Amino acid sequence: MSADAGTTPTATATQAPAAAAAVPATQATSTATKKTGKSLSKYKIVFLGEQGVGKTSLITRFMYDTFDDHYQATIGIDFLSKTMYLDDKTIRLQLWDTAGQERFRSLIPSYIRDSRVAIVVYDITKRKSFDFIDKWIEDVKNERGEENVILCIVGNKNDLTDERQVTTEEGQEKAKLLGAKIFMETSTKAGYNVKNLFKKIAKSLPEFQDANSNIINEASGAAAAGSAPAAGNAAGKTGVIDISTKDEQEQSGCQC
Amino acid sequence: MQGNSGRTSYTGGSHMQLGKPPTFVPQSLPRSPSVPSLQGDRPFNSLNRSDPMLNRKVFSGETPVPRLDPGSAHSPMGSAAVQASPSTIGGNSNLSVIDLYGDETDSQMASEESEDTNHLDTLMSKSSLMDQPHRDDYNVTSQETSMQTDSQLPQIPKSPRVNISSKDAEHFDRYGFKKQTSCISEAQYDGWWSEYYQYCERRKSKWVVLMEKHGLPSSDDQVTRFPPKNEKLKRYVRKGVPAEWRGNAWWYFANGQELLDENLDQYGQLLQKIALIEKLPDKEDKYPDLEIIERDLNRTFPDNIHFQRESFQDGEPEMIKSLRRVLVAFSLYNPKIGYCQSMNFLAGLLLLFLDEEKSFWMLVLLTSKYLPGVHNVNLEGVNIDQGVLMLCVQEYLPELWDYIVPKEKHSGSSKGNLNKLMNTSFSSSSGHSHQSQGKNDFLLKLPPVTLCTASWFMSCFVGVLPIEVTLRVWDCLFYEGSHFLFKVSLGILKLSEEELLKGKHHNSLTHYSLNGSQNKHKNNNSPEESEMELFQIVQTFPKKLLNPNDIFEKIIFKKRITFNNLDQDEIDRCRKYVTTQRQKHKPMSDPHKSSSHSNVNDNDDVSEDSDNSKPHSSDSSSHRNVHKSKTFNHTHRSEEHLPGATQDTPYGFKRSMTSVNWNSGLKEKVRQIRKKKDKFMD
Repeated sequence: MSADAGTTPTATATQAPAAAAAVPATQATSTATKKTGKSLSKYKIVFLGEQGVGKTSLITRFMYDTFDDHYQATIGIDFLSKTMYLDDKTIRLQLWDTAGQERFRSLIPSYIRDSRVAIVVYDITKRKSFDFIDKWIEDVKNERGEENVILCIVGNKNDLTDERQVTTEEGQEKAKLLGAKIFMETSTKAGYNVKNLFKKIAKSLPEFQDANSNIINEASGAAAAGSAPAAGNAAGKTGVIDISTKDEQEQSGCQC
Repeated sequence: MQGNSGRTSYTGGSHMQLGKPPTFVPQSLPRSPSVPSLQGDRPFNSLNRSDPMLNRKVFSGETPVPRLDPGSAHSPMGSAAVQASPSTIGGNSNLSVIDLYGDETDSQMASEESEDTNHLDTLMSKSSLMDQPHRDDYNVTSQETSMQTDSQLPQIPKSPRVNISSKDAEHFDRYGFKKQTSCISEAQYDGWWSEYYQYCERRKSKWVVLMEKHGLPSSDDQVTRFPPKNEKLKRYVRKGVPAEWRGNAWWYFANGQELLDENLDQYGQLLQKIALIEKLPDKEDKYPDLEIIERDLNRTFPDNIHFQRESFQDGEPEMIKSLRRVLVAFSLYNPKIGYCQSMNFLAGLLLLFLDEEKSFWMLVLLTSKYLPGVHNVNLEGVNIDQGVLMLCVQEYLPELWDYIVPKEKHSGSSKGNLNKLMNTSFSSSSGHSHQSQGKNDFLLKLPPVTLCTASWFMSCFVGVLPIEVTLRVWDCLFYEGSHFLFKVSLGILKLSEEELLKGKHHNSLTHYSLNGSQNKHKNNNSPEESEMELFQIVQTFPKKLLNPNDIFEKIIFKKRITFNNLDQDEIDRCRKYVTTQRQKHKPMSDPHKSSSHSNVNDNDDVSEDSDNSKPHSSDSSSHRNVHKSKTFNHTHRSEEHLPGATQDTPYGFKRSMTSVNWNSGLKEKVRQIRKKKDKFMD
């Protein structure tokens, strides 16, 4: 797997994300529990990167396929659990969303830096956030050898073409340099490449190494559902999202 | 770019309808809680004078409201402080508010407040007003009529000063926050609020009586002083300070005025300095905090209308400007902290209730007196407070503690935390986050759940608890001191326990039984998985805690709940103890933080500085006079008799029955030895 695995040259990011197939929470839960009866492989995914680059936004887009202009700044660490299905295999993803300010780095304990997957996000309109990814990558590598971690570098906000400060090529370059297995530019606002990112990540996991098929669908973790029986509001803690929507597949055509 | 598929978005409030006249119609039903009364203009703060929204002539155009901030004798000067003046008179609110209240149906408060009830009875002759439909229209009509009318009508200012078109208004609460959150639906909110606002009105009438008893003014614009502290007032505060008085109450209880008086010109000077800095070409290099602050401004309460930029607006909301000034001023004032994420929420909430200068000083107090060291560059204060919290959990919520630090890895026999406390040898654990119990390792390598609870402290529950609960917590925080944060945390954790059990029934994920403490249930879940589940519940649960009384009545007011014995002195001792423990073992276990100092030490040099502070020097050396606060004296005093501060002895909570320090008496020593023996026998 090389750094050029995922490139997103243009920012034709006007495509609306496919509307999520809304499924009642209970249904999703029961499906999840049914299928998760046996032990699941769990993968920790940690989201790192400077404040305001779009970590929370990336997760929200992935989980709920929604976007807000402004998310509250993340203080400390947020945790989300998500179950993904691929063919007959199921994995549980633990997503760790972190606060971006540098002083919070010390709070992120080793067992989170020690994740199977580290997604280091920068903002293509902020050179500084790009320069900063070295530090995060270093943190991750210190915790876990280079070999054992799937490093992803994500340049977010690629819908903001006019404000771009970091070119796609620079991003690829750096990914190669730092040994990142996946590089991608995304737009959480436009819903561009987010599913692709997670697809790619899933495919790099040992569980799915040989599986060439797309991820069929996914449902959020049973833990979340169990703890939130009353939270049946629009934000929708649970739901099944068909990750392999057509428009994104088209986009992914230019990925590989 | 339409990323907004299928979600009721509130981005930037751009969908708000401008200039549309209010369509409130007098209703014949009890005032719909879903319609925030937009009158009141007695904002909960004093800003936004020049808020463009005010000029929209929705309501306030017709109600020219004189402004007067009773407490702010010292408003900031300088051009930068345009709007820092004063809050409004919320109408001639010197009204017979009491007429409005009456139903003493609140069983919860019945007993302890019977003394007030009599008083009330005499005033309740018109209580039938309560049920009359038109009463519910006060808030509506008064907005569109004159102040004179207001003065005739009993009115309780309830609302934010910002005018929202009626269509949108119903989606926002009285502070301008969107009712719907990620965990609470608007319907849930409305359902709860229709009850709770009555509670608020009842409480306020009681406050009015109390104030009058003490010969203090009780009209909204004049409430700047409060009765002397006593048990009754404490109870009142715990039941909630009237929202309109909150800013002043916090200011009063936290002794803000004293601090301001000592630093009369300081905020103005800081603003002048900011103005100079703004002109520097390389300001962002010289003051890196500027950019970091900038990035968080629009990420502070994006769901609050006061912080949202309207699509039609040229500039940014006044609230954002104030927030920027307060945060930048603070970063100059206290370079040791600079700017730390979460302070934006602290300052933001303060600004909703206080003017800019006062908000600034309250932020100073929060970050020094109430949360010492928590926002420092190394965040060591966070770790210390989390260590303290974990000690408290171990002591007061032993069953939950078994969850937090699973027993699996240790010799299973412990019957509670006493045994754990006996086990004192301090080895820095290696590798994993599961420490074996009975050691203080968890103070060095904090359990995972603290990743979640840390943010509770950093932002004082802003964004963690729903707004009304947060405000109740802040009331108590400023009245009672920082130990209240620990109490509330323990309360939330205790309630989470129940949730955890529920979750256990729902999906057999967990295998630690809370009540039985046996972990015989076998299933496929690793301890880590249980940990994650716990984490998730602790993270989500408080966000659903819509009703403040759920935690206040069920937990905080209950005498039998042991951690209600926690007092400030205990927490100060705990903090000192944890500080020492962490310092002693830091080099071995925590290279990341080797440069850190304890917050207590920070405070030491601070108090020495304090005499130097002259109003002139607005830079680093002058910002410490705050720290004369009593809290620190406490800390020093307690140092002398602090058990375990110098040896690796476990922390001993004082037991309230005797109020004797647990570890200090001979009796206790004997008890310890006996316990230890018992354990070996096991």
